[in-house]
Amino acid sequence: MGILGLSKLIADIAPQAIKEMEIKNYFGRKIAIDASMSLYQFLIAVRSEGAQLTSVDGETTSHLMGTFYRTIRLVENGIKPVYVFDGKPPELKAHQLNKRAERREEAEKELQKATESGDQAQIEKFNRRLVKVTKQHGEEARELLKLMGIPVVEAPCEAEAQCAALVKAGKIYATATEDMDALTFGATVLLRHLTFSEARKMPVQEFHLNSVLEGLGLQQQEFIDLCILLGCDYCGSIRGIGPKRAIELIKQHRSLEEILKNIDTNKYQPPEEWDYKNARRLFLEPEVTDPKDIEMKWTDPDEEGLVKFLCGDKQFNEERVRNGAKKLMKARTGSTQGRLDGFFKISTTPNPKRKAEEEKKNANKKVKSGRGRKPK
Amino acid sequence: MFEARLLRSSILKKVLEAIKDLLTQATFDCDDSGIQLQAMDNSHVSLVSLTLRADGFDKYRCDRNISMGMNLASMSKILKCAGDKDTVTMKAQDNADTVTFVFESPNQEKVSDYEMKLMNLDLEHLGIPETEYSCTIRLPSAEFARICRDLSQFGESMVISCTKEGVKFSASGDIGSANIKLAQTASVDKEEEAVVIEMDEPVTLTFACQYLNYFTKATSLSPQVQLSMSADVPLVVEYRIQDIGHIRYYLAPKIEEEDS
Repeated sequence: MGILGLSKLIADIAPQAIKEMEIKNYFGRKIAIDASMSLYQFLIAVRSEGAQLTSVDGETTSHLMGTFYRTIRLVENGIKPVYVFDGKPPELKAHQLNKRAERREEAEKELQKATESGDQAQIEKFNRRLVKVTKQHGEEARELLKLMGIPVVEAPCEAEAQCAALVKAGKIYATATEDMDALTFGATVLLRHLTFSEARKMPVQEFHLNSVLEGLGLQQQEFIDLCILLGCDYCGSIRGIGPKRAIELIKQHRSLEEILKNIDTNKYQPPEEWDYKNARRLFLEPEVTDPKDIEMKWTDPDEEGLVKFLCGDKQFNEERVRNGAKKLMKARTGSTQGRLDGFFKISTTPNPKRKAEEEKKNANKKVKSGRGRKPK
Repeated sequence: MFEARLLRSSILKKVLEAIKDLLTQATFDCDDSGIQLQAMDNSHVSLVSLTLRADGFDKYRCDRNISMGMNLASMSKILKCAGDKDTVTMKAQDNADTVTFVFESPNQEKVSDYEMKLMNLDLEHLGIPETEYSCTIRLPSAEFARICRDLSQFGESMVISCTKEGVKFSASGDIGSANIKLAQTASVDKEEEAVVIEMDEPVTLTFACQYLNYFTKATSLSPQVQLSMSADVPLVVEYRIQDIGHIRYYLAPKIEEEDS
């Protein structure tokens, strides 16, 4: 589940690396979406009266509902989405996955208890914890996206890593995910909250890796070490070291090796057989398909196909599905708005005064939440 | 120390009206030649470039170059507190984090001052290349505002095409289509009512109505507006502000999809 506490750390130390944007500002941009994460989101969030939406025979359709309408919303805003699906999980993640399985078991037990005692709030809570994206969910979502004319990319391993590779290669503008490890994988631009429901009125957060690194005063390799220290999916972290301590240590020693040499390992115990070197390698050289070999094509939606797939058993309203298909079609016709960036050269210099203030602040080793650039 | 004084606050009020819908915040760059503002809207489709020359102010002093980041909604609120005939003075200390607006009524009986916090904005600067435009069209600003308003009822985008015969604005959408043609005026009594077209090559470009409607908020600043166009480059919409400077808007054209 990403990197523990990274977004908060960035917000505290390098607030200028986060920009709040409206979804409509992304017209014309190609954006990669981590499919399994968004499916998970939909399974949790798209519900009616606390229960997931289902087809006639009780199969969940929340993920399809979410994928269909939220994708349409993106397309209507002029965005060209690409969904990237996970391949096999890396071996290093096995431990993390085991932990998750254990937690599920626990939740299952709790759920049973709650059902027996009839506690509605608890039942709902643990029901949500049991949500899992299955293979079938993925297959159905792929089929739906194909009918919608939205390209799908199969990552050989982690979707995050593949998204990051696509952004780095300039094939797409940004990767949209809630997991911060896209940055650790080297994605230059990360968008959060892009696939959230319109009703929540959440602004899209745009993270720029280069401003993150500049703001934290780190190189990419040091940043990866910082993320491992904060806690990632691929290995354990040192107990007793929180975000503040982690950034201080990295700044002082510049690598995990040096940190291990210098800290009191009795007080701060690293996990046994700590495999941070492999985790680091995984972030640096993840298993991905070469972006050059990936072709993304947006095509016309198949209205009849969509109606056949979604209506009937899956109980989607035919009129709304047809409307959705028309919206997808409409977005494909017509011209797209150009941007001035292409015509004029932009040079951004951080405000010299603010920089001076920050340097002073850093010198005092006091990390306060940043000023300026506050959301309005 | 920075101090700039205008006898008529109405100019500054109108300038703010002309930019505040497009930009939420902007940096006012002041040096001894005057005040400059250059900023893009959030989606980087349009750019506002404002110049107010030092000699256009009734009093102007700028000892050290300063850049003041302002929240335009707040600034607009403050300027709404000024009467149209009031004198307005903007003041700031070197390296200050606030700016002060002083409004004085014509008979000096009422003096009010408003202090506003400045923002620490990144300085974004766009290098705009010198461009020779294929077409320039001058027309009454109120006429242009009317055309933009009328056509935006028909569609999201407007085609402007300039030929020897004149300039044509058109839009189409669900309810139908609309075309407005303007020919060069043969003879006019008043210069500000003239339509003047200079054309080397015909140009046809498509623009989003929404942005043009934001630009025409500057209509009250000038009786005439000038549109400059060349194929595949941004449109320039310029309003001259009498005796003191100008406001220019740049708008990226809409482009046909290559393949998708």
